[in-house]
Amino acid sequence: MLALALRSVRRRPGSFAATLLSAFLGALVVMTFNSLHDTAGAPGVDAVSAETLTTAAGVVGGYGTLLVLFAVASTLTVNVRRRTAEMDLLRCSGATPAQLGRMVVGEAVAVSLAGALLAIGPAVLGGRVLLGLFQDSGQVAGSVDHSFGPVALVSGFGITLFAAAGAAFLAVRRAGRERRPGKGRARAYLTGAALLLGAASVCSTFAFTATAEALMAPAAYGSILLAVGFALLSANVLRAVLGRLPLPGPSGYLAVRLMRQRADQLSGVLMPLILFVGMATVTLHVQAVENDAIEASGVPKSVDAKNLETLNLTVVGIIVVFCCVMLVNSLYAATTYRRGEFGRQRLAGATPHQVLGVVAAESLVLTVTGVVCGTVAGLAGIIPFTVVRTDSVLPDRGPGIWLGIVAVAAAATMATSLLTARRAVSTPAVEAVAPAA
Amino acid sequence: MTMIRRRDRRASERGTGSAEALRLVKVSRTYGSGDRAVTALDEVTFSLARGTFTAVMGPSGSGKSTLLQCAAGLDRPDSGIVVVDGTEMTGGGEAELTRFRRSRVGFVFQQYNLLDTLTVAQNTVLPLKLARRPVDRARVREILTAVGLGDRLGHRPDELSGGQRQRVAIARALVTEPSVILADEPTGALDTRSAREVLLLLQDAVRVHGRTVVMVTHDPVAASYADSVLFLADGRIAGEMRRPTADAVAERLAHLGDDALTGV
Repeated sequence: MLALALRSVRRRPGSFAATLLSAFLGALVVMTFNSLHDTAGAPGVDAVSAETLTTAAGVVGGYGTLLVLFAVASTLTVNVRRRTAEMDLLRCSGATPAQLGRMVVGEAVAVSLAGALLAIGPAVLGGRVLLGLFQDSGQVAGSVDHSFGPVALVSGFGITLFAAAGAAFLAVRRAGRERRPGKGRARAYLTGAALLLGAASVCSTFAFTATAEALMAPAAYGSILLAVGFALLSANVLRAVLGRLPLPGPSGYLAVRLMRQRADQLSGVLMPLILFVGMATVTLHVQAVENDAIEASGVPKSVDAKNLETLNLTVVGIIVVFCCVMLVNSLYAATTYRRGEFGRQRLAGATPHQVLGVVAAESLVLTVTGVVCGTVAGLAGIIPFTVVRTDSVLPDRGPGIWLGIVAVAAAATMATSLLTARRAVSTPAVEAVAPAA
Repeated sequence: MTMIRRRDRRASERGTGSAEALRLVKVSRTYGSGDRAVTALDEVTFSLARGTFTAVMGPSGSGKSTLLQCAAGLDRPDSGIVVVDGTEMTGGGEAELTRFRRSRVGFVFQQYNLLDTLTVAQNTVLPLKLARRPVDRARVREILTAVGLGDRLGHRPDELSGGQRQRVAIARALVTEPSVILADEPTGALDTRSAREVLLLLQDAVRVHGRTVVMVTHDPVAASYADSVLFLADGRIAGEMRRPTADAVAERLAHLGDDALTGV
């Protein structure tokens, strides 16, 4: 079965591109930040530099790692699901569930291993650039050399492989099982755990002093966990909302009925969307509050302070861009594999325009749900941070940042779904419903 | 450019005005190009009267499915004319062809092509919803009861047997009251009992509802349910048989190569 796994990867490299990309990006982000640990631990680094590097790697690298874990896992889940037909075929040819599991997990491990290996080179460069930024801002002594060592490698490979293998294992187990009542108890526990831990983490912000260097960490951690919890919960929310949604026309009719049925699967697509909105909201606002607080503390606005602001925004920007790419990646994967479904809609009498209308209506509902859940998760992190860091409850910046995030989320969701669907609709309907060769 | 050209009758007369349900004139379709070109249809001409049940038979690769897809507007002929219910299909984009098809043609596929995410009732009314036509619930229930699924309205396709799924597909093809129902190997994936039920339903569509049914099949028993059989070989019509029996059809199929040489 492992041989079959490797062969199926080699024969169809295209279908694994999404998995490869997410493993690559995930490993890149994790290794870039964690190489700061290696740099700080190298001999001859002065104490101040080492502390700055360790804090940065611990805070941003820490929640960045958690983020990568969930983002890679959700992409993998979407990718395994789209292969249900192939797995049914293998099951019919006599593959046992255990063999299927070994095959899918084997594939995931092989592909994510390749992704992580490819990420080493760029991560070394990325780490150097990051260190350079710290040195430019005067946070780290210019004499410190970048080193890329065991911490970066172990965390990069470990997180990527664990997320990929774990998601593949869970997804194939779910795909192989008949629908049975009482399923989803594990999911309920997971949802509860994510929400509880998230709430606890967010609340623990209050235990810190206003100037603590790690003050950002619990807020960001908490927001990620809350976002994950909301994503797991989103199937139920979607079902409830869709019941009374007045989407007009044949496309709206079909979109509501399809989504109510696919609500469970949609939570896989909502995960990166909610994570993106949540992470972008919490990190950008927290950073803005931090910058304003530093400014208000009376420290003269030196070149160093300017640099520091740039550095922080760069670091946060990496995380936000990563989330956005993962969102596009999993939406692309989720839409591509609906080619056959779009074909059947067309054979039942839907014009290509109506099919795209269905996709647009679905994207709209997804965007609204994702933005609402993500914003709540983000606010949950922002409010405690702002309360502790300043005296107000909400950041006194306008809604500009948030509107920007919403615009990006909506544009990414709509553009990816519609462009992918348009390509799927361009093949003749009769060919689109034929089983993939 | 006018996509759909009305010939000699107004839209209100559609469905009653023409004695011909389907006419193909010199329809050709070639796949690929150069040395590897395969001629699936070679100037096929025939016409079918309203209220008939015709089976199209021929060996694999004889162009049966292409014929059906060209007649349905799912595939575009390279040349020739397709006239459904007195109205000529003149190409245009997929949207035009879809609108043409969903008001005049019902299609039944070998692999059912139902949407797994919709219930039996939702799958059945889907063509009406897509065409923004009013849904008569009582009528839908009546049709589904007629195909033996009156108690399964809320089931999903994956909870049904193959034969039941095909009966949903037939109900879906009947619900828009099309003048022509095209069926591509509708019994190809079914056991003999389910196949017989499906064939009887197609017969009913002709005898009771007055539809015109064209069915592609390679099974002489299935073909024997039709009023007549058109034989196809190498993309050409290679003969016709009225009031077919399974044995006569099988006999004719075995000697189809001889007929193809002379043409019709």
